[in-house]
Amino acid sequence: MRTYVAKRLVIAGVTLLGMSLLLFVLMRLAPGNITDIIFESAGYVDEADRHRLEAELGIDKPLVVQYGRWLGDLVRGELGKSYRYDLPAWEVIKPRLPVTLELAVLAMGFSIMLGVPFGVVSAVRRGRPLDYALRVISLAGLSMPAFWLSMIIILTLVRSLGWIPSMTYVPPTENLRANLFQFLLPALAVGYRSSALIMRITRSTMLEVLREDYIRTAWAKGQREALVVWRHALKNASLPVVTLIGIEFAFLIGGLVVTETVFNLPGVARYLVDAIQFRDYPIVQNLAMLIAVVVVLANLAVDLLYTWLDPRIKYGSA
Amino acid sequence: MPSTRPLRPFLFTSLLLALVVAVAPVTAQAPKTGGVLVTSPLSATPSLSPHEESTIATVQQASPCFNNLVYYDPARKQESVDTIIPELAEKWSWQDNYRNLVFFLRKDVKWHDGKPFTSQDVKYTFDMVRGAPDAKARLKVNPRKLWYEAVEAIEAPDPYTVVFRLKHPQPSLLLMLASGYSPVYPAHVPVAEFKNKCVGTGPFKLKDNKPGELVEYVRNPDYFVKGRPYLDGIKFVIIRDRSTQIAALQSGQLDVAGSGWNKTNAENARSGAPKLIIGEADSNVNDNVLINFKKAPFNDVRIRRAINLALDRKAYLIGPRQGAATFGGALLPRPAGVWGLTAPEVAKLPGMGDAKKQKAEAKKLLAEAGFTASNPLKIVVATRALAIYVDTASWMVDQLEQVGVQATLEQIETGVWHPKMTRLEYQVALNLTGVGVDDPDAQLFENYHCGSQRNFSGYCSEEIDRLMAQQSQTLDRAKRLALVNEIDRKLQADGARPILGWGKQYEVHWPHVKGWAVHENSIYNVGRRQDVWLDK
Repeated sequence: MRTYVAKRLVIAGVTLLGMSLLLFVLMRLAPGNITDIIFESAGYVDEADRHRLEAELGIDKPLVVQYGRWLGDLVRGELGKSYRYDLPAWEVIKPRLPVTLELAVLAMGFSIMLGVPFGVVSAVRRGRPLDYALRVISLAGLSMPAFWLSMIIILTLVRSLGWIPSMTYVPPTENLRANLFQFLLPALAVGYRSSALIMRITRSTMLEVLREDYIRTAWAKGQREALVVWRHALKNASLPVVTLIGIEFAFLIGGLVVTETVFNLPGVARYLVDAIQFRDYPIVQNLAMLIAVVVVLANLAVDLLYTWLDPRIKYGSA
Repeated sequence: MPSTRPLRPFLFTSLLLALVVAVAPVTAQAPKTGGVLVTSPLSATPSLSPHEESTIATVQQASPCFNNLVYYDPARKQESVDTIIPELAEKWSWQDNYRNLVFFLRKDVKWHDGKPFTSQDVKYTFDMVRGAPDAKARLKVNPRKLWYEAVEAIEAPDPYTVVFRLKHPQPSLLLMLASGYSPVYPAHVPVAEFKNKCVGTGPFKLKDNKPGELVEYVRNPDYFVKGRPYLDGIKFVIIRDRSTQIAALQSGQLDVAGSGWNKTNAENARSGAPKLIIGEADSNVNDNVLINFKKAPFNDVRIRRAINLALDRKAYLIGPRQGAATFGGALLPRPAGVWGLTAPEVAKLPGMGDAKKQKAEAKKLLAEAGFTASNPLKIVVATRALAIYVDTASWMVDQLEQVGVQATLEQIETGVWHPKMTRLEYQVALNLTGVGVDDPDAQLFENYHCGSQRNFSGYCSEEIDRLMAQQSQTLDRAKRLALVNEIDRKLQADGARPILGWGKQYEVHWPHVKGWAVHENSIYNVGRRQDVWLDK
């Protein structure tokens, strides 16, 4: 097991290195750089001023030197400085991380809490009205993009109640109730689609498992429904579901960009898009790397979870 | 005596009415102090340094922190030399036939950090902005250096007197110094700090600045204008999504909004909250067409005129502008503007006449230049990839196709828009231009002078340059107006940068917001907000 984890960590390191190179190259392939943006916002371009600024920011150096410097800084734990705000990158990223983390965790929690039970119930009650109702709900979740649902929620609230969640961020340490009010609706908007996916996968794998001989045997032995379904069937049906949750967590960031914008939450997902627009390389590169690390670790966690869910799976042996 | 009796009741009633009229408005409108006003600006500001930026977002969010030497009276809708009021300067005087501008400064002003304000701060600021060789600091980006080209030296003979010595008379200097882009910075604070902080003398002190999220101010208790500001604070909340902005206003989370909104946005907001009040005014932001003078065949005046004639201004008003624009030339037309052409003159400009006749003339001109149905003129219309640009540019493509031009639309990412324009890497483009001050010097030199950084069409006319210099030094206002109008007519005839129209601005507020001033010939010079109060 240890060997397997060590191997996975080495592979993760190589993946992250490749990711860093890809990120660096893609950012440089985009037309314009931060000096273009600065002069763009000032409405003019003075070549002498531009060269001075490029030298100050270090983007006049050859690309290999710039890449090497960035990697060196990363290894030392230095994230550099935001070109746009002239502040240490970590100072800019740090207050935004808890916002995105809270939203992601709530959204994921919401989608699991809704998706798994609905999927199980739908499979067990296959072909009955409840199954059809739940399938309609899941189909609706897959059909509604998060940005559309977010906007509908906002518009419905303001039209019917004259109220919308706070447009300025309320930290949970300041007012937990207000914070939850602020986050529940965006979490619902993001989590609904994931919950629909989870529900469909849970349903289909549950249907397969429920047809297995050992389940039939359990029924024949007169075991209680709850025990058969939730203990025997669900545990064996959960491998694809866990895989999906891992993948969805990675994809969640994409959904958060729009939801953070619509609900005006100052998280890293929205900020990442801003930083891309402003070619704020240190922010984009470091944030994207942070997301990559989270995705890689989430995948590793999912793989390790397999061994707990299915003891037949053994890592580290041929 | 009996003859006077019938008048007694009237006299009494009249006196009573006069008393009511005299007292009622005062009691009803007496400003209340306190409260925090929440608003949403156009966008996040790149910094709190107006001298280094060219976006209204910076002016909106930094103006409450600063003061100018002089400022435009917020209460008067039209900005002109007659509406300039003192701020840090108690009074000023033109001397030596408009070659020296002397400011006599207030002696009771302190910076937000408690240090006294003196003439050295003024000298420091404007030496830096004009890029003087001996300036004590340098701006990273200096978009308005051109405004101060006529300044030869700035002297501070004593702590409360400043003299701007000019190379030649320039009455416009005072107007440019009154702009929201011309605050005075403290000499003792490094200019780089204004990226995220603000030390000013203004009515509000910076409480919190979360870049890209919010800018929050609190009342400056030491403000030199006694009894101001009325508010305890102002909060600028950055809301990127327009629909969310509208919802936030409707739900009462914002007291006022509307920056960058069009008519539909304003009406949508009110449809959900009928108590909201919509303010509509002219603005000094125009939609203009850039035709690249350096690229064939656009160096042919017939092609430029054909393009200009093909763009039916009345269709522009109904289409992309949804009825919310005024027609004009290079300067905001009168009566909203001070220096623009009058309505009868505007009516004679290319594109303003009968659409069918003008399109026929455009086709004729194109044919004369060698472009016919079998050999059509093929052009790319470039524009910035923002909705407000793309809407008008799409309309332009359609209009050009009606005269046989094969036009395609190219959306350019906002980050590389100005570099492309500066390098003239386009054929025809749709652009928006906002000018800080409704003044010929501020507008004409920047956009039409040979070699100017922001002369995006590459237009160059020695005659126009000469006339520009001449109007700049003309002291008689009527003669100057005549010269400016002559320049404007020539620019439109040359197709230097055809103006489609000047857009309207909207602000939408709840009835409890009082004193939120809007100027009809500039959006940039009314951000101090010391007179705003909440009737709650």
